[in-house]
Amino acid sequence: MKQVDIVGRRKIWFSISSALIVLIIVASFVLGVKLDIQFSGGTIITYTFTGQADKASFEKTVEDSLGQPVTLREQYDVNTGLPNYIITLTNKSGITPDQQIAVNEALQAQFPENHVDAASISNVDPTIGRDFFLKSVVAVLAASILMIIYIAFRFRKMNGWSAGVIAVMALLHDLIIAYGAFVICGFPLNDSFIAVMLTILGYSINNTIIVYDRVRENRRLLPAKTTYKDLVNVSVNQSMTRSINTTVSTVIAVGCVCAMSLIYHVNSILTFSLPLLVGMFAGFFSSIFISGPLWAFWQEHKRVQKSSS
Amino acid sequence: MRKVGKPVVFVIVAIIIVFTTLAFFGISTSYGDITTTYIKGVDDIRWGIDIRGGVDVTFTPPEGYDATPDEMAAAESIIKVRLVSQNITDYETYVDEAKDRIIVRFPWKEGETDFNPEQAVKELGETALLTFRENQSGPVVIEGKHVKSASAEPSPDGRGSQVKLELTGEGAELFSDATGRLIGQQISIWMDDTMISAPRVDSQIPGGVAYITGGAQGFDVKEAKALADRINGGALPFKLETENFSTISPTLGFGARDAMVTAGVIAFILVAIFIIIMYRMCGVVASIALVGQVAGMIACLTGFFAPFPSFTLTLPGIAGIILSIGMGVDANVITSERIKEELRNGKTLDGAIDSGFQRTFSAIFDGNITMVIVAIILMGAFGPPQSVFNSLLSPIFRWFGPSATGAIYSFGFTLIVGVIFNFIMGVTASRLMLKSVSKFKPFKKPWLFGGAK
Repeated sequence: MKQVDIVGRRKIWFSISSALIVLIIVASFVLGVKLDIQFSGGTIITYTFTGQADKASFEKTVEDSLGQPVTLREQYDVNTGLPNYIITLTNKSGITPDQQIAVNEALQAQFPENHVDAASISNVDPTIGRDFFLKSVVAVLAASILMIIYIAFRFRKMNGWSAGVIAVMALLHDLIIAYGAFVICGFPLNDSFIAVMLTILGYSINNTIIVYDRVRENRRLLPAKTTYKDLVNVSVNQSMTRSINTTVSTVIAVGCVCAMSLIYHVNSILTFSLPLLVGMFAGFFSSIFISGPLWAFWQEHKRVQKSSS
Repeated sequence: MRKVGKPVVFVIVAIIIVFTTLAFFGISTSYGDITTTYIKGVDDIRWGIDIRGGVDVTFTPPEGYDATPDEMAAAESIIKVRLVSQNITDYETYVDEAKDRIIVRFPWKEGETDFNPEQAVKELGETALLTFRENQSGPVVIEGKHVKSASAEPSPDGRGSQVKLELTGEGAELFSDATGRLIGQQISIWMDDTMISAPRVDSQIPGGVAYITGGAQGFDVKEAKALADRINGGALPFKLETENFSTISPTLGFGARDAMVTAGVIAFILVAIFIIIMYRMCGVVASIALVGQVAGMIACLTGFFAPFPSFTLTLPGIAGIILSIGMGVDANVITSERIKEELRNGKTLDGAIDSGFQRTFSAIFDGNITMVIVAIILMGAFGPPQSVFNSLLSPIFRWFGPSATGAIYSFGFTLIVGVIFNFIMGVTASRLMLKSVSKFKPFKKPWLFGGAK
């Protein structure tokens, strides 16, 4: 089998990853990070209607009825192919059912021919939003801690703590890239974001473990004088087919979800599946091109230090 | 695992076919208009409100009011009575006593086109009007404000439970008057427009303390508690406010569901084609196992495994099933790669299959364990109060109140059942099938399993 020298080209891989991470950090500041109303509190209402309804007048009717500024966005409906208007309240404090009824009535009076109807309303109080946000953060932290305990346990016998630390770094890398997908696509952070983060946390670590398992096995099999570079190269190449094939099948599955939700405008699933897809690519990349080479680099560095002292 | 006979593959394939058919179509008989369901199929899946439309509300007492657990239970019971009186029986309510919140979820009423969810939400939270009336619908005797408290307690004669009613001074007078007049007749108790009880007056009750005994048998404990809660609901000193509410119309959700189901079918076909091309016979076996895995997940959702209840499926839940299809193949990829390698190293077909499965089990186990950790956290954090994982993780999450969303819970559930069925199908069933297939002469060719031609 042809061997690809992955460790030798480590500078290329490290640069790609670093560039992406820098890009994501810059994008977070430039584009800003949006929190969904689930976390920040607020109100979003989707109106369906038939025929033509003037946007400006629609927006004004809602504003007059509520006495606060709103924004209006147009979106096409999955089923009917008709446009929907999505109203977002800038005020975070939410509205009462009474106010909601008043808005609906005002719209129906203003556009009697259009059968205006509130197809979906989402109204979250800021305190509940904050609680939910904290809970989500705790969920991610709890999962991360469990994962680190698991990694520590798993790597105790295997490659020592250097491999464990690198595995955690690779995981962090994948999480940052998946988060980047949210920022760059302008998706607001919500419960889907938490689900994506946790899924990547569970999924990505396995690719890395498979590679390190090979490293451990080959250390016994290969002659003792094999350099770390060769050891990692052999191991990574051996697990490459498995990593590619597993990634391909998961990417096919998530890709189908992503494509269908894009075609049919299923926003809640698109904002979930697209970052997941990105995270899976990142997981593949980091397990093959980052964790192995980084470990080899670390070990070589340690040996050089030891022999020079 | 040494001896696997030839017929094993037929047995397993037959089991998977029967199981899949049952899981998807269920068994039900129709006799006239009456349909009896013995085994639930996909038609019986309970869709989440993000699919079938519905309302999700969080009620709370007015700001600054610290309600007692009894008051919260009373408030919940008002909401339940009102839901039922609106013909909504398929509701879920959760009370969080620490944060004084009541979460209510109910689906769109079937066949209802002009259902007005805002109005329904508003009515649910209004102050309950409790009245005691002469007979079934006579003039009002006393109202909610006259009731100090109601509580359930064991009957003194030991037969069941009774409800103890304590009235205010003014209430006691009015009640004494009325019971004097109505001996042998009924006094009915109403919440809004729903009659919740109609006890008979045995004697005049002067002291402001009355007992509703529930007839000769008494109430059972639950009945007594429910009645006491409802009466207390009418005496609540606060009105419930809506902290959150969201409504989704059913037309939006079903379109999204159909799109996701199509995505699932396409994903399945593509993944199957991919692994069959890559791993030939191992790929065919993996695809059959995958059918079993999906059927197993569906069965868990419909409540096929009797003691386990059915489970609500949301859009992220469907995405979880599809994701499990992609990830489930991992087990087969790892073992098939190993079998290929063992064959290349000169092992016999039988030996290669055996060691392929044995040597990869720990790697597969590892991979699945991390997904289980994640799924448990997801279910614990986003699940409704009192669910298994929520209780398990409540030391971590209890400070944050129950979740405002149920959609992700279903994702966690599909992930975890995906892992369980991956062990059953992707590991055990696949191994048995492969071993058995390799006994047949036409298939006894290493290249079919990834070896050299």
